[in-house]
Amino acid sequence: MSEDKKKLLVVEDDMILQKALQEFLTAEGFEIFTASDGEAGITAAKEKMPDLVLLDIILPKKDGYEVLAALKKDEKTKQIPIILLTNLGSLNDVEKAIELGATTYLVKSDYKLQEVAKKIKETLKMI
Amino acid sequence: MFINDLDVKKQAEYLGVSLWRTPSFLFILMGIIIGVVMILVYYLFKNYNSPEALILSEVVIVIVLMSIGSFIIRNVEEMAKINKMKSEFISITSHQLKTPLSEINWEIELLLARNIEGMNQKQLEIINNVADSSNRMTRLVSDLLDVTRMDQGKFFLEIECVDIGNSIREVVKNNQFLATNKNIEIKLNFPEELSMVSADKKKIMIVIDNLLSNAIKYMNESGKVEIMAEEKGEQLVVSVKDNGMGIPKYQQEKVFQKFFRSDNVGRYQTMGTGLGLYISKNIIEQSGGKIWFESEENEGSTFYFSLSKTAA
Repeated sequence: MSEDKKKLLVVEDDMILQKALQEFLTAEGFEIFTASDGEAGITAAKEKMPDLVLLDIILPKKDGYEVLAALKKDEKTKQIPIILLTNLGSLNDVEKAIELGATTYLVKSDYKLQEVAKKIKETLKMI
Repeated sequence: MFINDLDVKKQAEYLGVSLWRTPSFLFILMGIIIGVVMILVYYLFKNYNSPEALILSEVVIVIVLMSIGSFIIRNVEEMAKINKMKSEFISITSHQLKTPLSEINWEIELLLARNIEGMNQKQLEIINNVADSSNRMTRLVSDLLDVTRMDQGKFFLEIECVDIGNSIREVVKNNQFLATNKNIEIKLNFPEELSMVSADKKKIMIVIDNLLSNAIKYMNESGKVEIMAEEKGEQLVVSVKDNGMGIPKYQQEKVFQKFFRSDNVGRYQTMGTGLGLYISKNIIEQSGGKIWFESEENEGSTFYFSLSKTAA
């Protein structure tokens, strides 16, 4: 019995971080799609319908908040859990994200790749 | 805020301006000037009984009020602007510094987790050292940002019902490796059923972790750390007791200051950021509790903190 691999969309403009997430999470058993800017992120989410989106905030073209708002407004994508993965960390940033519908908010430099993977698995089990 | 706190000198220090520019001082000055002018008007009026004198003095009062008033407003606006700039600077710097740090940390994690084939012992050792240094730097940046937010009054707690027993157990689990390496026993001494407390779960764990890792750090090989939790009326008091090097008496009043390091700690013991206790004190006090300690050099220290029990 083999379950279908869960699909993750990683929206991150820093290529080193994007590749690191891709390599690590692929080895953890996920199927990874990537996008390097906000607009590409929105398009990819609507096309690929991932099980979860990892979303950075500072992005070219459209920022993470705009992506978040767009995905939550669209009937097709609004149920997809979105984890904000960013280095901004003030209360305003977090509040704004939760208000816009983010499932949770992680500060990149506080989390190891292993811990990010754990959060993703926890979030997916809850759905 | 400015009107309530009439400690003008403290306010000047905090705002970083000279004494005569602090809003409190200016308000007081304005009050005094109004008082003096009113007294003068009264005497003028009594002695001269002339409408001209009255009008003149009224005009003077109005001019004085408006000048000082607008000066105060301009000052306060400028300070608000500077504060806003400080916040934005922190936000931008935090993002800028944390990005390369995240890159380094994740790349090393990838290397160690999945790419160590063919690496010899020496190379592994070097990489592990790099990882340790990078982790330390990351924690320092995080701590500095926390401290800046605290100083700016922008460090907020999410208060909820916290099971302190569980938090303690989790922190102990995270520190077990370090303790075992140094042959240090961690003993938990509190009942299974503890009252819940009102606190920010994540931040309280930072406090407990700080106290426990300090205890372990400042102990030489082998020894015992005992963690206790006692119900004392409306409060829950947690204590972390070690039999390590203790803190010299003459330094004890500085313990909670930023970057404090006691003298009896070797120069090689630079693992921490020196901000842990400052941050812990801030967290506990903002949660409505108290933090204190007892210490005897060469015998050990016991650190205590109290939190309010959640009303049933």
